[in-house]
Amino acid sequence: MNVLKQKIAVLLLAALLLTCLCGCGGETPAGDNSDAAVTVTDMMGREVTLDEPATKIVALTASVCEILYALDAGDTLVGRGEYCNYPAEVLEVTSVQSGYDTNIEQIIALQPQVLLMADMAQDDAQIAQLEAAGIKVVVCDAQNIAEVYDSIKLIGELVGKQDKASAVVADMQATFDEVAQNAADNSDKTVYFEVSPLQYGLWTAGADTFMNEICAMLGAKNCFDDVSGWAEISEEQVLQRNPDYIVTITMYFGDGPTPQEEILSRAGWQNVTAVKNGAILSLQNDELSRPAPRLAEGARLLHDFLLGAE
Amino acid sequence: MADMLDVQKLSVRLGNLDIVKDLSFTVAEGDWLMIVGPNGAGKSTALSAITQGVDYTGRVLFEGEDVAKMKPVRRAQCMGVLTQSHFVGYAFTVEEVVRLGRYAYAPGLLSNRSDDDDEAVEEALALTGMAAQRKQSVLTLSGGELQRTFLAQVFAQQPRLLLLDEPTNHLDLVYQKQVFSLIERWLQKPGRAVVSVVHDLSLVKAFGTAAVLLRHGQTVATGAIDEVLTAKNLNPVYNMDVAAWMRQMLSQWAADDNTADNIIEEKIC
Amino acid sequence: MNKRLDKVRWWEYLGFGGVFMAVLCLCVCVGSVNIPLSETVTVISNALLRQPQPEGLAPAIILTVRLPRVLCVALTGAALSLAGAAMQGLLKNPLADGSTLGVSSGAALGAVIAIAFGLNFSAVPFAGTMIMAILFALGSLLIILGLAYKLDYSLATNTIILIGVIYSMFVSSAMSVIVTFAADKVQQITFWTMGSLQGSSYENAAVLAAVLLVCGGVLLASAQELNAFAVGEDNARHIGVNVRRTKLVVLITVSVLIGVCVSIGGTIAFVGLVTPHMVRMIVGPNHRRLLPSSLFGGAVFLLLADLVARILLNPQELPIGVVTSLVGAVVFVFIFYNTRKGQ
Repeated sequence: MNVLKQKIAVLLLAALLLTCLCGCGGETPAGDNSDAAVTVTDMMGREVTLDEPATKIVALTASVCEILYALDAGDTLVGRGEYCNYPAEVLEVTSVQSGYDTNIEQIIALQPQVLLMADMAQDDAQIAQLEAAGIKVVVCDAQNIAEVYDSIKLIGELVGKQDKASAVVADMQATFDEVAQNAADNSDKTVYFEVSPLQYGLWTAGADTFMNEICAMLGAKNCFDDVSGWAEISEEQVLQRNPDYIVTITMYFGDGPTPQEEILSRAGWQNVTAVKNGAILSLQNDELSRPAPRLAEGARLLHDFLLGAE
Repeated sequence: MADMLDVQKLSVRLGNLDIVKDLSFTVAEGDWLMIVGPNGAGKSTALSAITQGVDYTGRVLFEGEDVAKMKPVRRAQCMGVLTQSHFVGYAFTVEEVVRLGRYAYAPGLLSNRSDDDDEAVEEALALTGMAAQRKQSVLTLSGGELQRTFLAQVFAQQPRLLLLDEPTNHLDLVYQKQVFSLIERWLQKPGRAVVSVVHDLSLVKAFGTAAVLLRHGQTVATGAIDEVLTAKNLNPVYNMDVAAWMRQMLSQWAADDNTADNIIEEKIC
Repeated sequence: MNKRLDKVRWWEYLGFGGVFMAVLCLCVCVGSVNIPLSETVTVISNALLRQPQPEGLAPAIILTVRLPRVLCVALTGAALSLAGAAMQGLLKNPLADGSTLGVSSGAALGAVIAIAFGLNFSAVPFAGTMIMAILFALGSLLIILGLAYKLDYSLATNTIILIGVIYSMFVSSAMSVIVTFAADKVQQITFWTMGSLQGSSYENAAVLAAVLLVCGGVLLASAQELNAFAVGEDNARHIGVNVRRTKLVVLITVSVLIGVCVSIGGTIAFVGLVTPHMVRMIVGPNHRRLLPSSLFGGAVFLLLADLVARILLNPQELPIGVVTSLVGAVVFVFIFYNTRKGQ
């Protein structure tokens, strides 16, 4: 029974991980100049009012940190979640842990006006504690690209940088439009996204993931779009579905074979089209998994890869 | 010739407490030595020390050989032990438990059983009257049957010296007599001896040839049974008139005697 | 009159072997991708006869994906089951198992430390995790049993389970600490702890087979001693068993078995609990029959569990530990109920 409990804990951890990596969204009512009170409705439909744009923020999700930096508002960040790692400056910000280890006392001590977090990252009791300490909690949890735009605008409102937010969104849209132009060329191509390598059990990104959405945008087909979210799938199925391209987001730590080399050396995979052609892309920086402006960068990398690998 | 068992200045300390202090005695072939004394006198601890179950100081010699230095297998060939209660975890059959007694003669995997082993097991089963129940699971046995199973195991082990730690403590009076009679019969063959811790003075008197009387770990008296079990020795140790109480017990015994013998006859023959 | 009780009963092994081979064949023939039986037979016979393989997916799927995995699963099941049976005998406790005692968790902790800090003792993949897993399995066993003996010399069921639960909790918090120290590897660690025999290679199978051969040999040679322990530790000492040496040998062997299994397949709970129990119901408690039969039983059980894990949610896979835990929890309650009732 202790093992079951452990299993549950592991599943929770995995779930947390996913929410950490997937994190944010919202809607923006009006808010025009940086001195007036700001009222926003977050993605849980909660209305939050600030007397002025936030100058001290704690962000628990990596994507929110990225958005803040993209809006040139990185200086508002006084605390971050454990797994926030981009851009590099964010690592200098105090970590308040993540998930159920989140250090509520430490957050309160940092005296932020706003805590930004993903849906379900904290329980109601913790939220109540934070609100009692006068910290506004804003939930920001984008599940698709449209919601990423919303979350960027929402955060723009919060820090009084609506214009910058609009510019960032416009930039992203422009990039997506550009890469989508060649979609027709990829119409018969299949891509296999690998999240965890064979050694630890094959995990892929199925439907309802950013990888899937961007893949579709580029006109190619995610060969595991029949499963939902991140899922462990059968090695046999990968061989049978014979993807034209493989994209791996497995982390590389500098020793042993690189993710590409490891996939190329797998026994029995030598007849997979992607392996035969060496068409394997390794993404090391969460470009395709984090609901943040860099999704555009990821889309461009994938686009270039699909074109260039031919 | 050396005595079969020679215990020299045996002491067991637990923390600051002397459980047994400077216990010395010898056991010769044919002897049945009883270690007696009230609760907490250190009887069972002394026996555990002899079987190497607890740490001790002093020496325990078996025919001049230091028991502490014997290999476990050799020790088991010299001395067999029967304790008071057994809880077996799994449904072994009576015969499987008895056959374990032969371990000392062929340990290891490729121990093809010899005819000696089979003979010893059959003899032990017959002697204890458990032959008919050889296929029965030990989990389904009564207390008396279980004790006879382990008695058969120790008989199959064919030791020269039998050490008993209150072997009949939780058995009915009839079965106590039965087990003791079986041991007495076993003792009749030459080259054998018994040392036992027994609570019940009537059994001590009925079966013992020699005795050691302990109190708080100290030896009060040692020698032939009649020299040790005197009113002068016993009354201060037990704080009561032991002789009067025993007379009463023994008369009760006499009445039960026929019944007990009949049961033994039935079971064995 | 003379009935050779603990003689090897060949018909039993014939039966076990037959069932095992049938399940093994089933697991090679059935999988996520549907391959016709005739093609499977062709691929395997060609491989055995060193004939050229036909075009298509079948050779790759059967020879490089399914067969090594099925072999690893069978060997892991056999090893875990043997380890469980040996521990249950040694401790005279039918609920003793790597997972209930917390030994598997301990081994997993060792492996996680190896992953988190990138410990590699040589170029051999898995060597780091394997050695750490074995060391931690042994350390865990010593801690757990040391504590148990101090608290309750008779090692009663309740004590053992309580200590196992507490130890597992301790290990999981230790694991959380490790994860905090190695935040960048959290993803790898998470996926690893879920347990998976995907990606098993023939090398893994060879390592498992070698370890099982050695450890299995040692344990089978200790069958008589384990019988004596199963009757009672004091009784074992009285009939001449070298109690201390036997304990040490069995504990080290069991640790190696569990450590190797955990490092290759992650923690797969309850295999060592479920199969010896079932096998004991068929062949009885005598370890001379129980241990070899447990090898077959464990292999068959885990093969079937893995088959369910592979095909139930096709194309997705279930972690194999989820399947074994589901069955194991039920059997655990059943045994616990029975032992309590018996007391």
